[in-house]
Amino acid sequence: MSNHAQRRNYSRREFFIRSGLAGAGALSLPALIAACGGGSDGGSGGGGGGGGAKTLYFENWPAYIDGATEADFEAATGIAMTYKEGYNDNNEYFAKVQTRLSSDKAIEADMLAPTFWMASRYINLGWAQKLDKAKIPNAKNLRSDLRDPGFDPGNLYSMPWQTGTAGVAYNIDATGRELTSVADLFDPAFKGKIGMLTEMRDTIGLILLSEGVDPSSISTFDEAAVAFEKLEKAKADGQIRQFTGNDYMDDLDTGNFAACVAWSGDVVQLSRDNPSVRYIIPEEGATSWYDTMIWMKGSKQSDSVAEWINYVYDPANAAKIAAEVGYISPVEGVRDELVKMGGDAAMMAESTILFPTEDEKKRLRTFASLSEEEEAKFDEAFAKITGA
Amino acid sequence: MNLVVDRRTRLAKFFDRADFVGLGTMLLLALGIVAVGAGWVNGDAARLVVIALGAVLVGIIAMAVMGNGEVRRKLAPYGLLKPGILWLALFFLAPVWSLFVMSLSAKESRFDFWPDFSWHWDNYRTALTEFRPQFVRSFSYAGIATLLTLIIGFPLAYVIAFRGGRYKTILLGLVVVPFFTSYLIRTLAWQNLLADSGPIVSIIDDLRLTGLFESLNIMENGKLMNTPAAVIGGLTYNFLPFMVLPIYVSMEKIDVRLLDAAHDLYSTGRRAFRKVVLPLTFPGIFAGTLLTFIPAAGDFINAALLGSPNTTMIGNSIQDQFIRQNNWPVAGAMSLVLMAIITVAVMIYTKFLGTEDLV
Repeated sequence: MSNHAQRRNYSRREFFIRSGLAGAGALSLPALIAACGGGSDGGSGGGGGGGGAKTLYFENWPAYIDGATEADFEAATGIAMTYKEGYNDNNEYFAKVQTRLSSDKAIEADMLAPTFWMASRYINLGWAQKLDKAKIPNAKNLRSDLRDPGFDPGNLYSMPWQTGTAGVAYNIDATGRELTSVADLFDPAFKGKIGMLTEMRDTIGLILLSEGVDPSSISTFDEAAVAFEKLEKAKADGQIRQFTGNDYMDDLDTGNFAACVAWSGDVVQLSRDNPSVRYIIPEEGATSWYDTMIWMKGSKQSDSVAEWINYVYDPANAAKIAAEVGYISPVEGVRDELVKMGGDAAMMAESTILFPTEDEKKRLRTFASLSEEEEAKFDEAFAKITGA
Repeated sequence: MNLVVDRRTRLAKFFDRADFVGLGTMLLLALGIVAVGAGWVNGDAARLVVIALGAVLVGIIAMAVMGNGEVRRKLAPYGLLKPGILWLALFFLAPVWSLFVMSLSAKESRFDFWPDFSWHWDNYRTALTEFRPQFVRSFSYAGIATLLTLIIGFPLAYVIAFRGGRYKTILLGLVVVPFFTSYLIRTLAWQNLLADSGPIVSIIDDLRLTGLFESLNIMENGKLMNTPAAVIGGLTYNFLPFMVLPIYVSMEKIDVRLLDAAHDLYSTGRRAFRKVVLPLTFPGIFAGTLLTFIPAAGDFINAALLGSPNTTMIGNSIQDQFIRQNNWPVAGAMSLVLMAIITVAVMIYTKFLGTEDLV
């Protein structure tokens, strides 16, 4: 066993993200209790804009934007923007806001960035408002493959923020070899060194693909049961070290995880500092997903929301975000803009993680949308396995 | 004329019974606070109750001011109890009541955010059957951790109390120093210490002791992180001061002359320890074990940050049911079951150790 040299220099940002994540986990219980307490009905708690001033409060996932966009947007539009990175987990955030939204009270944020299936839930519950599409001319730049999702025909309520794939990431120092397939995650040689995501669709979707089941065409729990059995067994055997959210990046960096289910953009960001970390679309396939922007019930900032979406759907602006976060932009024309930017950004235009090859694209599947009843079965079975 | 006298005697009687009045007001206030806190009354009714409670409070203060020394003497104990009782009524009784109601409620659909009370005992069945492994694990981990804190903490407290000399305060301070940083950060630091490429595993590897540790079930597949040992270790570390401090306090109080007397009566050092020091330290051990065991059994941070999917404790399950699964009724039932088990365990323990002087 070669004891690889220790690489313990987190970037400062990573450290803050990490401690912030843990902190958010610990704080969410009190936050939940506070949410139960009711309180003021203040709609948008924007950045201090006085009477009638336009504000925008966007709650997004951590490490999901570049450093300049917020200020550039404020300068271009005069809207006072509050950009927060408090959205760590679809289910947790839902639990946090459900009390207020279900009793017809506004939450602080005007916009959230839920993953597509959660956006579908918000829309179905009537907790999202119809976007003012007349004020979003750039919506025409939405990639054609993302238009008219089943839960939101015409994209009346939601516009994608970033898209990505959930595949396999590995640290070659810890694996000692290149990985090519989902089956590698179940290789006994990596016992206790495998990470899986708490995001059910990404973990189960990948295992389904490895079992030859297409996750985009399932409709009942029984069709997916095989993946749950496989996951259950791997957990009982001690193959799986931990189920994580965004915090898997650190374990992958240090080699605590030899390999794990991972989100493409995270690995792009991580591999800049640590070239041993690699990402593949496994030969069996991978899932593709997207996070959306939705306008929350109770918010009165219709114009600000429209202006923001219009701004980030300008390919030049979208390219700046894509160059930093390493996810696949939902905006048409970003690749050309990246080339125009030159330097590192132009290199990103060549990255197959950002722009999968045609061959890889054929292997990508989006998890089917589930009925409420079936989704409950999936979530319950998954919760039982993740152990908590 | 007659009427005035009558009223005065009635008032006098009222003042004579100041102790009952004090007790009654206290219970009334507590009840009112629970009613508001647990949501028995809402909106305007709740506001009315709060105003009424304020009036009662003013009344009882007025009574204490107007009354003579005897009245005040009778009211004093209830006056002194009131801040604690009312605090607990608001922040313990009211939430526990809400939790109890929630634990017997049923959700009509998955997104039914306001489950209705319906004597749904099935929640308790779910809590006890589906989460039995987590309950068992919590109590065994907490038990082992308590034992370890006792083994580590007792000698430590002994040395500080009897051999500390002028360094006593400094040594005691050092025990508390870790508390200056957040619980979460301390546990995160353990992640780095126990990491596969971290210092501890490297040393064990270099000393070729990995096999030994694995056979002792401390390590799994050459790793320390994400094992039961890591979780128990984290619990032990995080709760150690709760064991050391009470034991130290009870040792501090021991009169050294008692030991001299034991020696004068031809007792050996070991015998003196067993017959004098140990019995006098029992209250500290008793308090220390409770202060360690109870929070450790409900802890979720250590299992979340240092454990694996196979080491989850009941705290993790409750958090998961509350926060991720939106299953408040079952989470409520689990919380109450946890409380009940701990209460019974503590009662048995108290009976067994028989430390009346503590209570």
